[in-house]
Amino acid sequence: MEEAIIEIKGLQKSFGGFQAVKDVNFTVKKGDVFGFLGPNGAGKSTTMRCMLSLIMPNAGQIRLFGKDLINERNAILSRVGSIVEKPDFYKYLSALKNLELFARISGADVQRKTILKTLDFVGLAGRENDKVSGFSHGMRQRLGIAQTLMHQPELIVLDEPTTGLDPQGIIEVRDLILRLKNEQGKTVILSSHQLSEIELVANRMVIIHKGETLIEGSVSELMNTQQTLLHLEFLDAKSTEAAAFIAKLWPGQDIQITSPKTLQLQIEKSRIAILNQNLVGAGFEIVAIEPKRKLEDFFIQITKS
Amino acid sequence: MLWKNTYNELIKISAKPRSYIGIAALTLLIAIILFAMKADGSKYISFVTSSFEQTLSFNGNILNGNLIAFIILQMLIVHIPLLVALVTGDLLSGEAAMGTLRMLLTKPISRKQVVFSKLIAAAVYTLILVLWLGFLAFIVGRWVFGTGDLIVLNSDGLVILKNADVLWRYGLAFLVAFLALMTISTLSLAFSAFANNSIGPIVSTMAVIILFTIIGALDVSVFDHVKPWLFTTHMASWRSLFNNPVPWSDIKESVWILLAHNVLFVTIAVYKFQKKDITS
Amino acid sequence: MKILFLFSLLFIGQAFYAQNASQLVKAIRLKLEKVNDYSVDIHIKAQVPMIKIDEVDAKMYFKKPNRIKVESKGIAILPKQGMAELNYFLSDEKAYTCAMNGNKMLNNVNTAVVSVIPLGDQSDIILVKLWIDPKKELIMKSQVTTKSNGTLDVTYYYGDQAKYGLPYKMVFTIDVKNFKLPKSVAADLHQNKKSPSNTSQKGTIIISMRNYIVNKGVGSSHFKN
Repeated sequence: MEEAIIEIKGLQKSFGGFQAVKDVNFTVKKGDVFGFLGPNGAGKSTTMRCMLSLIMPNAGQIRLFGKDLINERNAILSRVGSIVEKPDFYKYLSALKNLELFARISGADVQRKTILKTLDFVGLAGRENDKVSGFSHGMRQRLGIAQTLMHQPELIVLDEPTTGLDPQGIIEVRDLILRLKNEQGKTVILSSHQLSEIELVANRMVIIHKGETLIEGSVSELMNTQQTLLHLEFLDAKSTEAAAFIAKLWPGQDIQITSPKTLQLQIEKSRIAILNQNLVGAGFEIVAIEPKRKLEDFFIQITKS
Repeated sequence: MLWKNTYNELIKISAKPRSYIGIAALTLLIAIILFAMKADGSKYISFVTSSFEQTLSFNGNILNGNLIAFIILQMLIVHIPLLVALVTGDLLSGEAAMGTLRMLLTKPISRKQVVFSKLIAAAVYTLILVLWLGFLAFIVGRWVFGTGDLIVLNSDGLVILKNADVLWRYGLAFLVAFLALMTISTLSLAFSAFANNSIGPIVSTMAVIILFTIIGALDVSVFDHVKPWLFTTHMASWRSLFNNPVPWSDIKESVWILLAHNVLFVTIAVYKFQKKDITS
Repeated sequence: MKILFLFSLLFIGQAFYAQNASQLVKAIRLKLEKVNDYSVDIHIKAQVPMIKIDEVDAKMYFKKPNRIKVESKGIAILPKQGMAELNYFLSDEKAYTCAMNGNKMLNNVNTAVVSVIPLGDQSDIILVKLWIDPKKELIMKSQVTTKSNGTLDVTYYYGDQAKYGLPYKMVFTIDVKNFKLPKSVAADLHQNKKSPSNTSQKGTIIISMRNYIVNKGVGSSHFKN
């Protein structure tokens, strides 16, 4: 049995009359890159903040490294690096001063050279003495990541780490997460409202909706067993014929014709290749075949099943 | 961890431009007062002594550094609370507004320690303001106007204190004034624990001071039972040190009441801040 | 018997001194005129309602006709007048006229009470009443009423310098009923606790003199402001 790094059971939290988190449960194991998935307003941020003791839950249990968060808060947090929402720094201080400030209270003895090395790692070498007020959003995000890493934490908590980043920045963050897992064996939990983002980096995930856990499991299994909205585009206006062909192949299959050249259908991931073979074999000229895994659709499916 | 974060808080205060507003304002105000007194101080003096001068003459250097320090202290004790609150009211709520509170509170330091380290930093800042005030008022005042006996106008008459008898009074007066300003610091810190913006606690603190001062000044018997318990009533208790003989029991009472307010405000700040959900 | 004796003494005394009021004042004037200048160490003890001040040491300089200066290290409270004004007033015998006002026992001395009335209305002084020791030709008490400052009582005690008419102690009695404090200035803490001071009290300022140096010259530098 792998060591559980995060265990969350029956988490509840309400603000005034609004119940943001009703019943969230999941377990993150050592070495996981764990996706914490849910649409906006699902309770992700509240759960993340509860996990970091920023918000006091009304009920439920939060255990990190096998310890109770409320009783052993400081011991736990010294082993955690985190960014919640977005990294905010003291704008009137330099990057280095900011990191030194947080390093001092990180619970570890962080040397200046370690900080400089971490700044180098996130691509901010040479900017350490610049004031944060002059940093772009992407630079602040990278500085935020440096802040989570400099004290060598075992668990890294990233709340929506790619929000507001340009495509290049998103790729950099993805690479960084994978490097943390592969090279340093860190456990990472990251929240997102985009399934594609989680799918690319996470090995396990949980999906929450309206404050409740919907499903938890390995990303590959969940992706394969679950249905995907497949979008097909043909060279000619043959979508009606193609729909009839698929209906004959798999009677009862729900197919939507979206235009003379395009159609879409719900299909299990494992059957996409078979469908493709059959369509090509029947002489349909396919221009594009694109699985659209919109999280909302995914939720609809899960809640249906 | 407490001292590490206190060090951090001091770095933050020293790097924040607004921390220097107080010091700059104080310097400017005192410079203006010194200039005004140098230019036209005798008029100010005669305003105080005029009613006596029909029958008595005051011999000696009345307009001296000791009197200047007293005048400055008396004038500024009304305004320094604003300068203090400007920094201390921002300590918790400013971080909430900036977003850095999230970063700070996910570190292995308890919230109580965060409040206390900010309190210590606030105390250091307040002390620096008081010391700076003391330096400008007392040292520079003496340098410009020389020394001499101190003449103080109280509600029941004039008190003239020997030059040699003044220094210890100023020492204690600055201590009591420091305690009075710490009450402002802790009050604004308590407000700061409730707010998520920096202007709210500063305005609230000033509003409370103004309200209490007005209640204290109103000559209405309804408030007679309230007045002795208002901290603003006791903020001027440093003045009693310049009475002869010193009314020690009055001063002790004021010190206790101010201390009690400090404890109360810090308790409120810690309680609220520990319960607070960080949603900013 | 004793009363009768005292009474007769008083009566005879009055008859005798009535003719000599001017001469008495003249004798005093001549004695005072011997003093060209002096310097003296003074010790001031002020007991004035509404003023709390410790005793103060100072040095006083006098130079004819009426220049007087007190040099103190700290703040010293002195009567506004009475240090030299009377002497100066008496020095011009054409400026006043004298009248005997009876006798009175004062500190075991049977003093002649002389009223000195200024002639013309130039002077600030309205009336001077002197209690004079006729034997020693010394002013034991004076009461000076001025237009500007009301009435001031001074009692004099003499020692070594009696030959110059210079006392070793002067006790000023001051009327403090006119003292009023600017209200807004005194916004201090416990003002409500104390009832306002009785406003018609008398205050005294006792000035003791030591180490007179008479007629040895006093530099005019002392009188510069």
